[in-house]
Amino acid sequence: MTSLKAYMLTKKKSLTIMLLLSILIGVMIVAQAYLLVTIIDGVFLQKQSFSEVLPLLGGLLFVFFLRTLFSYLSGRTGVKLGAQAKSFFRKALLKKYSRNPLQASLQGQSGQKVSMMMDAVDEMDSYFSSYIPQVIRSAFIPILILVIVFMEHVNTGLIMLITSPFIPIFMIIIGLQTKKKSEEQMDKLGEFSGRFLDTLQGLVTLKIFGQAKRQVELIKESSLGFRDATMEILKIAFTSSFMLELISMLSIGIVALEVALQLIIFDGITFYTAFLVLILTPEYYTGLKDLGSAFHNGQTSIGAAKKVMQELQQEEQAVEWGTEDLASHQPPQISIQQAGFSYGDEQFSLHGIQADIEPRANVAIVGKSGSGKTTLLHLLAGLLPVSEGKVYVNGKELPAYKEEEWFNQLSYISQHPYIFAGTISDNIAIGANKSVTRTEIKQAAEQAGIAEMINMLKDGYDTQIGEGGRGLSGGEMQRVALARAFLKRPSVIFFDEPTTGLDVHTEKVLQTSMEKLSERATVITVAHRLHTIKKADIILYLENGRLKAFGKHDNLLQTVPDYRRMVSLQQEGEA
Amino acid sequence: MMNDLAIVTKLMFKEKRDIVLSIFFGFVAGLATVFLFAASGYLISKAALAAPIYALALLIASVKMLSFIRAFSKYGERYFSHRATFTVLSNLRVSFFEKLEPLAPGIFQKYRSGDLLSRIVGDVESLQNYFLRVFYPPIVLVLVFLCTILFTSFFSLFAAILLFVGLILTTFVIPGLFALKQRKIDSHVRTHRGSLSTEVAEFLHGFRDLKIYQKLQGKEEMLEKSSDLYIEQQEMENKAILFSQSVNIFVTLFITWSILAMGAYFIGMGELDGIFLAMLVMISITVFEDASPMAVFPIYFNDTKRAANRLFSVVSDTEKGQKNNDLQQMNLKEIPDIEMRDVQFAFPGDMRKTLDNISLHLPAGSKTAIVGASGSGKSTVMQLLLNIYAVDKGEICFDNIPLTQVEQESIWEKANVVLQSNHFFYGTIRDNLLLANTTLADEALKEVLEKVHLDSFDLDDPVYERGENLSGGEKQRLAIARALLKNKKLWFLDEPTSSIDAITEKKIYDHIFQQAKDDTLVLISHRLTGMENMDQIIVMDHGKIVESGTYEELLHLRGYFYEMKEIEKNLL
Repeated sequence: MTSLKAYMLTKKKSLTIMLLLSILIGVMIVAQAYLLVTIIDGVFLQKQSFSEVLPLLGGLLFVFFLRTLFSYLSGRTGVKLGAQAKSFFRKALLKKYSRNPLQASLQGQSGQKVSMMMDAVDEMDSYFSSYIPQVIRSAFIPILILVIVFMEHVNTGLIMLITSPFIPIFMIIIGLQTKKKSEEQMDKLGEFSGRFLDTLQGLVTLKIFGQAKRQVELIKESSLGFRDATMEILKIAFTSSFMLELISMLSIGIVALEVALQLIIFDGITFYTAFLVLILTPEYYTGLKDLGSAFHNGQTSIGAAKKVMQELQQEEQAVEWGTEDLASHQPPQISIQQAGFSYGDEQFSLHGIQADIEPRANVAIVGKSGSGKTTLLHLLAGLLPVSEGKVYVNGKELPAYKEEEWFNQLSYISQHPYIFAGTISDNIAIGANKSVTRTEIKQAAEQAGIAEMINMLKDGYDTQIGEGGRGLSGGEMQRVALARAFLKRPSVIFFDEPTTGLDVHTEKVLQTSMEKLSERATVITVAHRLHTIKKADIILYLENGRLKAFGKHDNLLQTVPDYRRMVSLQQEGEA
Repeated sequence: MMNDLAIVTKLMFKEKRDIVLSIFFGFVAGLATVFLFAASGYLISKAALAAPIYALALLIASVKMLSFIRAFSKYGERYFSHRATFTVLSNLRVSFFEKLEPLAPGIFQKYRSGDLLSRIVGDVESLQNYFLRVFYPPIVLVLVFLCTILFTSFFSLFAAILLFVGLILTTFVIPGLFALKQRKIDSHVRTHRGSLSTEVAEFLHGFRDLKIYQKLQGKEEMLEKSSDLYIEQQEMENKAILFSQSVNIFVTLFITWSILAMGAYFIGMGELDGIFLAMLVMISITVFEDASPMAVFPIYFNDTKRAANRLFSVVSDTEKGQKNNDLQQMNLKEIPDIEMRDVQFAFPGDMRKTLDNISLHLPAGSKTAIVGASGSGKSTVMQLLLNIYAVDKGEICFDNIPLTQVEQESIWEKANVVLQSNHFFYGTIRDNLLLANTTLADEALKEVLEKVHLDSFDLDDPVYERGENLSGGEKQRLAIARALLKNKKLWFLDEPTSSIDAITEKKIYDHIFQQAKDDTLVLISHRLTGMENMDQIIVMDHGKIVESGTYEELLHLRGYFYEMKEIEKNLL
């Protein structure tokens, strides 16, 4: 489901109900006018008594009630439609993201995605709950009124018919004029509030340089400058509503004049018809104006809907998993055959990766930042699909296996492991795919060298952490991730070595833990540490998304000058 | 605590002229509309009785005139109300900034996440609804109503009374009842929104870990459930709004109906002239048109109130957070002797102390490096030295004067500071460099740019908000350039070169150390290169000093520093 139209077609029933209710509301507006006029005419000119008009009065009250009821029901249908749509599109986004790791978090910008799933979806509500119902109502009711007026008094109908095109024409002319200008202004608005934010965020810097007081004048100046620029745009918008108002008012005035003249000079119509026409005319122009403002007010929600649709239409790059079984707890044989991946046209791509990884091997992926190390790690972990070449596991293509069987075998320890909201115990237990005892958790924490720190906390293992691990240092998060791995006992470990900033203790833990974990597993590491590289059975040296060289450390040092340069860069700086 | 909306109202009243004009034009427009329809109703009735042509001509002319007046006043109302709104927003920004300014940078320790600030900006903007939708429309509405009621009372007292009842019901009673119900629903909506937004954030940020640990499906289900609950609450809220609006509309229709029924009755009794009936009904239909939006008035009211509360709660600590004013402007020496004694410090809400029993001495003219892992507390030490935060326990003295007695500004004024994240403002390179000293000539600026290897930049090159168009290394070098330009005798450098390559780093340090030859300098670094030249190195781990001494001493010790050095050698 990738277009709003297609979605609306699935909601035929709600739309039909809304159309039906709009017709009923229109009928009620007309009935109300007829009854009002009949009663006033009866009392005023026919000199009917109160008891004579009483049934009509009862009827009018009923019509008033029905008119309100139908509007309410139509509104409720809209609200329900909006709720259904929000639920549908949020779930669609969720599905899209969960099938498509690239779109979710691996590509970054997850802050933007959060706002897509929360705000953009919420903003879509008014498209369904007010824009669509308003359009249906405004499209239908004026036509009904026009028909009735034509039936009652052709002259008025003609006046309406002649004057009404001026409203959309005017809207279009003014709309075209202001659109570009107001878009510019919107950009300016964004820029302007950006500036204010800029100043607030830079307050520390400003104060340290003793420049903060000076900003008050600047803020004032630019605020007022912005106000004047905005008023220029608004003046055009106000002029346009002024003109619209004038057109509809003049039209109503012409109608009033015409019927008054007909009534008094030509005696062409009765008070009854004249009054009826006078009551219906404003409803007609209000309907037209509402249609115009519906389009105007609908812009935000239409914009939001477009954004969501675009996101849903993005091409998918998902791994399609199969049904083969994978021998469990046996480090597999992995073979990479000319594998590659592209993030899209003219974007980063990885090409021609070729390697054979024996069970329990130690593989180091090495290269400058931006050379594609993490992308390769994602490919091998089955988080991204290969877009060229193949990755074989135990002789079969990786995606041929059942997804859960593959992921059950592996651990992935990234530079910034994610800590979920919950207790420390929960966060370690996530490593196991079954329920685990507190003893097992403690044991894993012990092995990951974090037990001591946890025991020092007041609530120990039940300490609440999370929202991204607030309260834990980088080194502690690394050790929580290690504890998860100890609990899981994986046969393949993917490890993105932290670059810097770890304390000495965590460094040691990392080294011994990785050794312990790798005793019965294949380890594939994006390596930043010399001892990891020296120990590696095979090094894949990447440059600009290509496999530049592979082999053992000593070998590469001798044969690949670029590799040698990279390894010795650190020592050079020290000289 | 003063009501926050009252503060906004006070700021608003600075714009009396625009406020009065908005209300005036709104009032004229509203009244013109009522009279316009009253006149048309009367006109048609009069015409039915074959009135003299001049009377009709007069009526027709007045109908035309009223249309013009109405359209024109609407324009005026819109113009002045919007102008007032934007001026008020400007006042609000200035006032907020003036309140926030003395609290910085200490206040930022409370709100370490950046999104508080963007929320502030959003809150200021949402306060534009306060004048536009909360403050003046009810005033206009009530004024128009009262005049209409007065006018109607000349023709029918009963009609006037009915209109008054309608006013009370639609403007006060029904919105009031809705407000009561809304308060509960609203808090539900907010809670569910909060939990959904946590789920979404965890799903997206923790995606990889969820996938590998096979928890993705469970998370998806929780997210869906959370979303459905949230939508359900929103739906309830929307239905409540709709219901309140519908009730309001029905009440207005019922009042119109009552006027008609009552009119019919009195005409039958001969107590009311039939010619006024159409007019009275038209008045009733028209005057209530602006009343039905009042049904949702509580929503705007609560939104603006919440925005105001949030906005001013940030700066409400002004009184208690404010340093005592009797601080004398300390005449510190250009190069003071600095000492830190048994300092403890914890960020509010953190489960552990950030610093624990830190004591150190920075003699005048000495060069000190503070090293340690990220999270070891080394940056906090510098922030305390700069008097950005106050210590929880212990004491920091400049020339034996405790920092608690010194104005923050008098330290900053004497220091060249490079923070870990330095802010660059929208403008040019020149603007951003002149922050250090506004009197500098272009030559001096260019010379410094050369020293930090940024001579490829032109002084007129643009800088975007937050320096978005600059790379991390460029920002760091610009920040160093600013510090060099300030040319004071006290240096505080917090990882100034972490994104600069080793070779350039060394060259830049040479310039710094040359300029700082006789000065006191504190350098925080996670790299251990260039440490040989420091007078002392302080090694920190988990908020404590684990070692200190010169480079030679520490290497000789074969302790923590030595191990850090070994690890670093090992890093690519």
